[in-house]
Amino acid sequence: MQAMEARPGYDRRQFLKTAVAAGGTVALSACLEISDEQVPGGVGDPSSLPDRQHAWNDRVRSDEYGNVSLPRHQSLLYLALDRDGPPTDADRKVVGGALRTLDRAYERSNEGLIHSIAYSPAYFERFDEPLPASVDLPQPRRLSPFEEPQFDTQDALLHLASDRAEVILEAEAALQGEREQVNGVAVDVSITDALTVDDRRSGFVGPGMPADRQDVAGIPDTEPVPEAAPLFMGFEAGFRGNQATEDYVTIDSGPFAGGTTKHVSRLRQRLEDWYVEQDFEDRVTELFSPAHAAEGLVEGVGENLGSDSGLTPEMIENVREHAREFGRVGHAQKAARANRDEEGNVRLLRRHVESTDGDVAALHFPSLQQGISAFEEVRRAMNGTDLTDEPAIRQRVNNGILEYIFTTHRGNFLVPPRRHRVLPSPRPA
Amino acid sequence: MFRRQFLAGGSAIGAATIAGCGSLESRAIDVPPVLDDPPDAIYVPGHVEGMDLVGTETTGEYTVGLSYSYPHRFWTITGNERERTSIDETDSVHLMATVWDPETGLVLPDVGVSIEITQDGSLVSQETVYAMLSQPMGVHHGGNFTGLSDGETYAVRVAVGATASRPTGTFTGRFDEPATATFEFTFETSAMQAIRFERLDRAGERDALEGMSMDAVPTGVALAPEAIPGRTATTMADDIRYVASLVDPPAGVDGQESYLAVSPRTRYNGYSLSRMGLSATLEDDETVTDGQLTRTIDPDLGYHYGTTVPAVDSAELSITVDTPPQVARHEGYETAFFDVPTAKLSL
Repeated sequence: MQAMEARPGYDRRQFLKTAVAAGGTVALSACLEISDEQVPGGVGDPSSLPDRQHAWNDRVRSDEYGNVSLPRHQSLLYLALDRDGPPTDADRKVVGGALRTLDRAYERSNEGLIHSIAYSPAYFERFDEPLPASVDLPQPRRLSPFEEPQFDTQDALLHLASDRAEVILEAEAALQGEREQVNGVAVDVSITDALTVDDRRSGFVGPGMPADRQDVAGIPDTEPVPEAAPLFMGFEAGFRGNQATEDYVTIDSGPFAGGTTKHVSRLRQRLEDWYVEQDFEDRVTELFSPAHAAEGLVEGVGENLGSDSGLTPEMIENVREHAREFGRVGHAQKAARANRDEEGNVRLLRRHVESTDGDVAALHFPSLQQGISAFEEVRRAMNGTDLTDEPAIRQRVNNGILEYIFTTHRGNFLVPPRRHRVLPSPRPA
Repeated sequence: MFRRQFLAGGSAIGAATIAGCGSLESRAIDVPPVLDDPPDAIYVPGHVEGMDLVGTETTGEYTVGLSYSYPHRFWTITGNERERTSIDETDSVHLMATVWDPETGLVLPDVGVSIEITQDGSLVSQETVYAMLSQPMGVHHGGNFTGLSDGETYAVRVAVGATASRPTGTFTGRFDEPATATFEFTFETSAMQAIRFERLDRAGERDALEGMSMDAVPTGVALAPEAIPGRTATTMADDIRYVASLVDPPAGVDGQESYLAVSPRTRYNGYSLSRMGLSATLEDDETVTDGQLTRTIDPDLGYHYGTTVPAVDSAELSITVDTPPQVARHEGYETAFFDVPTAKLSL
């Protein structure tokens, strides 16, 4: 951790880029020494916050087209309950207290801290009664004929997001009992009195960040990631027109009405062939569609696209014709086949971020939807297995971006509404 | 530690290693250039390379054989387009995985394969590798890998994805789950340099090098015509030899009375040609069937392209290549199997 010492002349940006990935108290203390901006405080009464834990969009930045810019630094804490059977009142007191401390300490925004806690099917199996039918939350499973991911079956997932690296680190320290106060608010309990951090994964997203961090396994040494790109693959993503609304992904009935479901995968990225074997046009073909490349619809990192990816119903419908004519199909056009309801609404709200944990390029891919089945259907459409009868389309080659991504983890979670966010039973009153 | 610092820090050692494997360097220079004007056909390449077996392992429903050789140049195929992948100076090794059914020994050419290399749990490399065809090495999946160091030991994990061809007969319902085989591989440049490497003076001749016999690993030679059941006939179109047969529909095929199976293989070595688009017209007095055939893997018929047909006494069959084999080609195959004329035979 000697590398984490802040020293004169050390470029702040260079330093902060490694801080969240490194984590821990040394990173934090070094971080605090070089960052003296005031962090906005939270609310006196946490119950005054909105009921939807997943309502982030009106609390973060948006660009001129209304595309949401996710907080630049994120961390995913996979938590295990320290006992067999259902949680106790004492456990709930601890977890509730720890979450309320964060609410009071930080403004719920990209300038402060946004957080949400979610629970796995394995957690709910601690109880005798099952989840109600209004919650579509199966155990995680294999979603392609070629992947063998590890399944994340820890009890809970606490997701932290902020534009400030030091906020993520300080919040983590507070949760783990390493702070007496956090942003001026006293810390009475630590979440680790009831839950153990089984795994910690860090993420980042935003223009410049991938280019700054491309010196990792999976990215060729030619430093190909454009400065303007928010993601390693070199293009913008998450356009407003291609994302479900928060309303749409919200569970609308039953005890968890106001909540949502969350699938989180980790995908290792191997971009040597993406950047070296493929040229720009090939990359546009494989990420968007052959029509995008043929018609020159994408400039640079896609900054010309505005508020949607330019995917038309025709491109989605003609995926098979594209397979035949171009010998390739695009990732977006394939997935979109299952990512629209009958009225044309987008079904998934994707909030993916990049990662360099372990000095390996990877993507953390949280997706929110009313039920996990929606995610599974979109992922199966993205596999394009039905298109492989066209011989040029292989299981993973010429088939969108499947050649370059390797799913290492999958987990399913329920993000309860705030009123039930503390170790809920399957049928809370 | 950042990777580039690590690489920079290791550069002195790297230089020593390179100095110590001068023959490898000179070997690289010795690779004869690709022929200027190869025939549009199977031809003898300018040199031949051997390979060494790392091991075989049965995992899930598959047996996987892992072999290695010098880094290779090869050509990837998308539709009718051919693109050369040259040897990069950083390439350490060409890894080859062959996947077959342990019960019948039939090679499964239509599975998806990726290879991950780690050392002490740290990622060294991971790639989706291509289905390939090589004269000495037959039907396999392969790719060049970088980042291996002389004398170091690695875990090589070969991940096999479900087959994209329809399994029929007793294969029905099989090969639909992924499985991974793990091998320990010590990369030694001295061992690699001991692998056969010979220049050939008959480069460009319309012929093929013999398949290398490796007892432990099948090379993907298609079933001999006499081993295929039913009423069979054979014909040639350019460098594709077809064996067609009319048989009872195998299990797993919703059936009419009869089933047409077409098994294309390479002219000289008889390797199965996979991942093609083939269509067929079967006519007696009128057209009996006309359409695209389905890529199929069957324990009795081998890898073939098939469709159900009504029973016919005798009929004329035309076979058209809609899409040439979508397999990457080692040298000597890269110009073959394009623009193949329609083949005709009597069944």
